[in-house]
Amino acid sequence: MEIVILDEFMVDVAPDDLIRVLGLKRKDYPKKEEIKEIIQKEISEIKKLIEPKGIYRIIDYEETNRHPIFENAKKIALAICTIGSKLEKRSSELMRENQMLKGLIYDAYGSEAVEQVACQLDSIISEQARKMGFYPSKRFSPGYGKWEIEEQAFIFKILPGEEIGVKLRSSFMMEPRKSISFRINFYNEPVNNGKKSLCAQCKMKNCPFRKEE
Amino acid sequence: MRIEDLFEQMKKSIINGNKEEAERLAREAINKGLDLNEVINKGYVPGIQEVGRLWEEGEYFLPELLTSAECMKSAMSILEPELVKSGDKRKTEGKVIIGTVEGDIHDIGKNLVAAMLTANGFEVIDLGADVPLNMFVDKALEEQANIICLSALLTTTMIGQKKVVDMLKEKSLKGKIKVMVGGAPVTKEWAERIEADGYGENAMEAVKVAKNLMSR
Repeated sequence: MEIVILDEFMVDVAPDDLIRVLGLKRKDYPKKEEIKEIIQKEISEIKKLIEPKGIYRIIDYEETNRHPIFENAKKIALAICTIGSKLEKRSSELMRENQMLKGLIYDAYGSEAVEQVACQLDSIISEQARKMGFYPSKRFSPGYGKWEIEEQAFIFKILPGEEIGVKLRSSFMMEPRKSISFRINFYNEPVNNGKKSLCAQCKMKNCPFRKEE
Repeated sequence: MRIEDLFEQMKKSIINGNKEEAERLAREAINKGLDLNEVINKGYVPGIQEVGRLWEEGEYFLPELLTSAECMKSAMSILEPELVKSGDKRKTEGKVIIGTVEGDIHDIGKNLVAAMLTANGFEVIDLGADVPLNMFVDKALEEQANIICLSALLTTTMIGQKKVVDMLKEKSLKGKIKVMVGGAPVTKEWAERIEADGYGENAMEAVKVAKNLMSR
């Protein structure tokens, strides 16, 4: 199947979510509101630095490298998404300029932002799977569970990451850092792994692609 | 104003994360012709030490640590050139070469460690991210550094930390230049296995470990 490239994603990280990413969620943290204010002030600047892009391709099981994690799947979607490199460059720059906290906030925002992009791309692919009459699995990334980090090479063999500005280093790390690669298996039968769906877990309540509550 | 009161104000400026105040007091110390090493050691250093204590007690969190480290760096950037001008230099806790190992482009954690080491009196030479492994050893020799800090954020790049330890062994520098390792997948067990001299789970822990290594 053909390669699909998308660049229309909605990224909107709330200060509360960043408080969680920064590890400051605990109730007795006295400066929570102060930090939220700092975050709020930076958000418009941060958003200018985010350039979300995604790429995916749906392949038949026969086109895979027969890794056991593809077993029983009829088709497999492989995907890469990113928010580009501008934000992480600015974050590093801020840290070099002795603005450590601001730099950390920029980085944390980027981490949440790319998660949101992955969440939306996941929804688009899962919807397509359903339209094709399949049952999509949740998304899984190399380096987690039984899918080794080295399998990044397979994703990048199937997908031209450079089309969205993402390259794979020899250490299997993606550049820009704020990028996520994943797979979704398409099955003939419903899959149930006993966990909440990613949409239900996703904090982005107003996401246009949100499917479940 | 008594000099002790000025020192107290300096300490508070660091604890409260007040950059403007920390800078203002540094300029005041210069204008008054005070002994700047004394200013650093009796005014600012007790401030960052107190911040470390508050962190350990769970009163301070990462934002406070970072803001205080920023203040410390700002004050030092005013005081240190003056020290140099007068033919003196800041008495440091030790010289550290820090970087993220080859193949790894993560730098946030490494930056946090570098900032906290700097704030706590270490002279830190930050080589950045994706640093060729031999550069750590070459730079440490060139700068006569005491410690090399190696950051790795992936299981695939952690091996670089071991390679640097091995390089030091080959050059009979093991023990002379100490190695500290850190990063998300790095554990105390890994540090022991590769025979690193220290492991820091977080930036403040790294400061403790570094000070400990210097006192050995």
